[in-house]
Amino acid sequence: MAAAASMLLAAPAPALAQSAAPNTVSPALVQPVEPYDPFGRVNRPIFGFSMAVDKGIIAPLAHGYRRVVPAVVRSRISSVLDNLGEPGTALNDFAQGHAKRGGVATARFAINSTVGLLGMFDVATKMKLPYHESDFGQTLGRYGAQPGPYLYVPVVGPSNFRDGLGRIVDLFTDPTSLLTGGVTTTLGAVRFSATTVDVRVGADSAFRALDDATDPYATARSAYSQRRAAFVQQATGEVGALPDFEPVPTDTAATAPPAAEQSAVPAAAAVPEDLPDFDAEPAAPSSTPVPAPN
Amino acid sequence: MHSPLRRRALGLMLLFGALAAAPAALAQAVGGREPQAEQFVQTSAQRVVAVLADRKLTVAQKNATFHQAINELADVPKVTNFVLGKYARTITPAQRQQFTTAFRAYAEGVYQNRISDYRGEKLTVTGSVVRKPGDVVVNTSISGGQLDKPVAVAWRVQGAPGSWKVVDVQFKGVWLAITQQQDFVSTIDNAGGDIGVLIAQLQRDAQRPATASR
Repeated sequence: MAAAASMLLAAPAPALAQSAAPNTVSPALVQPVEPYDPFGRVNRPIFGFSMAVDKGIIAPLAHGYRRVVPAVVRSRISSVLDNLGEPGTALNDFAQGHAKRGGVATARFAINSTVGLLGMFDVATKMKLPYHESDFGQTLGRYGAQPGPYLYVPVVGPSNFRDGLGRIVDLFTDPTSLLTGGVTTTLGAVRFSATTVDVRVGADSAFRALDDATDPYATARSAYSQRRAAFVQQATGEVGALPDFEPVPTDTAATAPPAAEQSAVPAAAAVPEDLPDFDAEPAAPSSTPVPAPN
Repeated sequence: MHSPLRRRALGLMLLFGALAAAPAALAQAVGGREPQAEQFVQTSAQRVVAVLADRKLTVAQKNATFHQAINELADVPKVTNFVLGKYARTITPAQRQQFTTAFRAYAEGVYQNRISDYRGEKLTVTGSVVRKPGDVVVNTSISGGQLDKPVAVAWRVQGAPGSWKVVDVQFKGVWLAITQQQDFVSTIDNAGGDIGVLIAQLQRDAQRPATASR
């Protein structure tokens, strides 16, 4: 798998989850879960090394692939790879007790593998069977497993105890791999390589986001943790916990930019009075399920 | 004929009924949809998305429009305070002034890059959830343009009908302001709590050319 390839953009769209379960406000609707990173001192250098490998090897491969292969062909290849993942998605959907979603994934695989010419064309979406993803990390989260310590796996990318374990289970239970013999076969090796490049191309904007960050390590950690939390919430049907935006301190009025640079509406309207929990500490949640980092 | 006592009892029942109904109505709103916030996002976010996807506009025109849109649609002071995390309580007024200016320039470029990355043209509201009164997450789907598949984007808006403001935007499960806060707090932590180091870095980064068109 490409360096950090799974980091941000390989995630399924959260909006799709809304069909999985009704929106319910989580009882833990308080503060965001800050990543728990007790191995930060080890993770940070591994992140630096992995980014260097990406910059030197994987990114040039992915960018070369994007330059050489026309967009329409890349799109077809992505569709084929997505299709090969459908049986694994269905398996996890059923394990999560989401029979309808499992049925959708199964039907998609049957339709797109045949009418869709081995998955090249996503006919199923046009039949109102939209694409979604599920994995075993999500399944564990569905049943209450917490992410545990954050990990940066060399070259593979960000993970945590729960999702790392989930990934290993997915690797050994993926029906497509079981049928084709995994990466030791030609088909398996081609699938693995193509997936690596495809995911890395898809994650390009995530890598650009890291370029913009003042601390790319903390940004990758935050983005990955939020993305996985949102993915698990798709399975539980909960609305994510979000931090409160505290009122702006009064001294800001004297230090804010000139009026022309600010909102067109009066300042009073920009800072509503109904913000609760004025004494909340956004960076140090008191009721998060995992301990705060460091 | 109703006796005065009976009428009083009826009045008390109505009063208590009304009192009991008030929290119930509030509870119903929390977790429900907020049509006016949805309308705000539909109109304002659609405008931003359409401008950034418009190939006929120059980069300068897009930058100017985005700048104006942030002024009108985002709660800049609140976001600026939020991204400082725990350091919002210890920053000096002078540093806050420097940070406000540096963050505005930096964030405009970064947020424009993120939204431009998707290059979709059409924004459709798919629903909303009231987290608490005056705090709503509006879910949208951006499609068209150069997008193969629709992309889910959520907008967190705060305020009230007529004065909604965007405080955060979520792409594929990742909230920009929350990520920004963890990025900045970590940067300041790594500098031993020196907020000046972050300000200097933002000032440097703001000088870099935009990456939206890559």
